[in-house]
Amino acid sequence: MHSFLSESLHIKRSVSEFLHHSSPRLPGFSPERPTMEDLISREPRDLGRALCIITGASKGYGRALAFQLSCRLKPRSVLVLVARTKAQLNELKEDIVSLCGQKKLDVRCVQADLEETEGVEKTVQAIKEMNSTEPDHVLLINNAASLGDVSRFALSFTDPAEVNRYLSLNVSGALSLTAGVLQAFPRRLGLRRTVVNISSLCALKPFPSWVLYCTGKAARDMMFRVLAEEEPDVRVLSYAPGPLDTDMQLQARRFSGDLELRRSFSSMFSEQQLLSCEESGSKLIKLLLDDDFPSGAHLDFYEL
Amino acid sequence: MSAGSGSGSGSGPGSGSGPGSGFGKALVIITGASRGFGRALALSVAPRLSAGSVLVLSARSEDRLLELKRDLGRGHPGITVRCVAADLGCKAGVDRLITETRDSATEPGIQTLLLVNNAASLGDVSRRCRDFTDVCEVDSYLSLNVSSALCVTAGVLRSVPGRPGLSRVVLNISSLCALRPFPSWVLYCSGKAARDMMFRVLAEEEPDLRVLNYAPGPLDTDMQLQARSSSADDALRNTFSVMHANGQLLTCDQSVSKLMTVLLEDTYPSGAHLDYYDL
Repeated sequence: MHSFLSESLHIKRSVSEFLHHSSPRLPGFSPERPTMEDLISREPRDLGRALCIITGASKGYGRALAFQLSCRLKPRSVLVLVARTKAQLNELKEDIVSLCGQKKLDVRCVQADLEETEGVEKTVQAIKEMNSTEPDHVLLINNAASLGDVSRFALSFTDPAEVNRYLSLNVSGALSLTAGVLQAFPRRLGLRRTVVNISSLCALKPFPSWVLYCTGKAARDMMFRVLAEEEPDVRVLSYAPGPLDTDMQLQARRFSGDLELRRSFSSMFSEQQLLSCEESGSKLIKLLLDDDFPSGAHLDFYEL
Repeated sequence: MSAGSGSGSGSGPGSGSGPGSGFGKALVIITGASRGFGRALALSVAPRLSAGSVLVLSARSEDRLLELKRDLGRGHPGITVRCVAADLGCKAGVDRLITETRDSATEPGIQTLLLVNNAASLGDVSRRCRDFTDVCEVDSYLSLNVSSALCVTAGVLRSVPGRPGLSRVVLNISSLCALRPFPSWVLYCSGKAARDMMFRVLAEEEPDLRVLNYAPGPLDTDMQLQARSSSADDALRNTFSVMHANGQLLTCDQSVSKLMTVLLEDTYPSGAHLDYYDL
């Protein structure tokens, strides 16, 4: 059985058994126990005076991270939000600025389509121009991604142009953007550099009707493992956020060609087993604050 | 070994000239056939094909393909060899190969379809992740090493649909690099990791297919020469040079031989990654 539900719950159950500790979302949860989000909001640590870049920031997980990370950045940090839709970015910027209030957080919006060469170049250029901000931490969150056409099976992908386009956004774009950022902010004493790859269970396990997404995620995980090998001073993390309640998830449960998978997603949704972006975001932030993950590791929400 | 029923695992390639010794009347497609592992595979597969089989060889170099065709023709006159000069990094090349396959698939009574996705490139191993700022370069690499493998596989399998009596085998020439990261090898490692996953998904979706990710081991080929002369990572370059100097590289024939055994025994789990050194 290869349903998402069984895979995710298997990881959750086995980790729970090991740790003798259950997820705060399960029934029977004691109301006194704080959620991950509570813990994070009381967290005094921060991510430094940072240049924080988030791709795919206009909605879903990227958007949630933008809010959560903004609270973790010291004054005079710069938060760069990258997405295709300018309007949504501007709205997000306004919301974050109001949230942060007095704290001086410089929020910049970069409208770019990372599927296009120009989009990656434009983003890197915008980041290069922030050199003068001299952050003590450069944090890049490679979150922008697409699901691909999950209504179809591998044998229907006969058009190289379609596959190339998919890989360009989901693989090439992430590598070139990361390269551009690392070159714009090269290694130097006192500068912390962190690169996050928003990964997935799909990077590790094959799911029927998801050939593009699984292939892209597997490529990315490996890419970032090589990066970790090459750059021992860069903190590299592939974080699989768990099944999130987002537009991408909606696409998954509506369109997946594999019936069992589609049912599995639908029941996760109807049984409220999907994670909120905030809950998963909080775990990622804790990982970044603790900063003790092995560089290049793949960590899943349910393992932590 | 019984003639393939076209369903379930272990249904196996056709009986050919004796149980377990051949693929019977087959349609075999090998990409990157002009040199190295692909060429050795073509020469090794030919004796295991029954008369009337078709061997479709694809590579960029028409000259080398024709030379290989001549070599094959001498030993195996009953086999039709078709050469397809094509650059699989572009759509026209992929289309040309699919068309040729479709034409070859009209041959009646085929017992085995064997598609070998072998064509690949190392990428520029003299540079590191931080140097790959040009999206087009990465796109171009992935186009050959990932997209074409998917599109060729899809096109070929659609041209030769499943039916009782036909065993359809899809091979991905993989690498240790699909499983472990190597410094200065980001393109190659990412591409191999992508391919392995791609073929694992295929195996999940198509239980009638026999899908194998075969990592051939460190072969003494032009690709290996590139690896030991160009790799930016000193330790890696040294490792390869030492292997070469100490005669620890495998000949293509050694690796092909193990692969042939695995294919003919036909007991591997579909979608598995098998390494020369596992066998």
